[in-house]
Amino acid sequence: MKIECFIDGKRTLLMVNSNKPLNLILMEDVESSQFNARCRDGNCGNCVVLMNDEAVLSCLIPAFRLRDAHITTFEGYKKTRFWHDLERAYEDAKSQPCPLCFPSKTLIFESLLRTIGKPSEGEDNDSSLEDETIIKELSLNRCTCLDARELVEIFNSAANYRRRRRVRRN
Amino acid sequence: MYEGIRSPAIHVPKTMSDLVSAATRFRNAIYWAGGTYIMSRHDYYPTKDSYDIISLREIPDFKRINRTDRYLEVGPMVTLNQLASIGKQIVPDPLTQTLHELGTRIVRKQATIGGALCTPDIRLAISGTLAVLNTEIELKKLDAPHTESRWVPTGKLYDRNGRLLIAKNEVITRVRMGFDHEDFSYFFCSGNPMVIPDETVSLTLVCSYNQSVITNFRFCVTLPYGGFHQFQDIEVLARGTMLPFSAQQILRIAKVLIEAIESTNTTISALQKERVRRIFEMALHQLNTQSLAER
Repeated sequence: MKIECFIDGKRTLLMVNSNKPLNLILMEDVESSQFNARCRDGNCGNCVVLMNDEAVLSCLIPAFRLRDAHITTFEGYKKTRFWHDLERAYEDAKSQPCPLCFPSKTLIFESLLRTIGKPSEGEDNDSSLEDETIIKELSLNRCTCLDARELVEIFNSAANYRRRRRVRRN
Repeated sequence: MYEGIRSPAIHVPKTMSDLVSAATRFRNAIYWAGGTYIMSRHDYYPTKDSYDIISLREIPDFKRINRTDRYLEVGPMVTLNQLASIGKQIVPDPLTQTLHELGTRIVRKQATIGGALCTPDIRLAISGTLAVLNTEIELKKLDAPHTESRWVPTGKLYDRNGRLLIAKNEVITRVRMGFDHEDFSYFFCSGNPMVIPDETVSLTLVCSYNQSVITNFRFCVTLPYGGFHQFQDIEVLARGTMLPFSAQQILRIAKVLIEAIESTNTTISALQKERVRRIFEMALHQLNTQSLAER
């Protein structure tokens, strides 16, 4: 099956099986360095990418859903200005995820940061998220390298940077 | 590595009649809703027997949420996140809790209500909650030219052991839930059905009472591999009882529940049995607390 999509901003033509999972496509066909192992059951949460600006588990996205989709891997995300908010939050908290889960946790943080102040969905329109919500959302990634307190601290710090960025832009 | 692996044909019907025609032509095709269950199977890819896929994403009727004076109707392709975001006034409390418990927002945005109800070998808590809330499901047979529809209660979608009773050429087209308000509702899930199905248990319980006398009492115990269990005899036993339950009554009802589950020949581990007992007792204690607080 021929599929045209955008991976990290680049138009890419893929020749893959229509049901091939996105994490395998990124690992084998695109050779993204974010992916070097495959869990096969969607339970490790180490394969998060942004698809059309929303975080998804790439092992649960089949190739046929990629037509014209915009995929951002961690490598692509690092080139955006949003990455600096989280980079500084990691520095402030003096802790960061282990190398294995670093890309996924960062992209989950990013997806949470994008929900702040967004009035589109009933449950997400708060100007800040509750600690419980942050911990629950990050539990998608099963790696236990950071404890709950650290996760909340990193998120709150990144959220402050993001708010300041928005204020400057406005 | 993938030599001999066939790339399945993808059919994307845009209307109901397209769907009927695709389902009639490709009888062995699998219906694809959100894909979260299918893709989380260990043998999903690569596999030699890959069937054609009929994706239900593009059918507008399936994504519709419709509210009338008496009930809420949702299409099977409504995501769990959309359903959870409709609002507390419309979606009953235990259902909102169940939806939040089913997964994180990232998963909920992809998983659909139709897909969650149609998982073939694993029962998720949502089936039990919808059964307790007296929800009805519309099933449509996709055999052209005879496309029949029928409404069934959620409980009738599965047999006693939780196996799906939908025929191969049937799809869920609507889920209808009423706005009945119950005085007390409770939902608790222990464990994660996708990660540790052998240990997971969930309980949904709703109850109404009038002047401390129970008038309506419904509950459902869901075990991922053991189906879901509603026991009308226990529900009848609780109806008419004066609140609060005494400690002895709670122990007795919980014991009757465990015996009832054992008598169904369900695969239930010792841990699940203990969890069912304790969660059920906890629910009854909370019911006591609420009823006493209202006096």
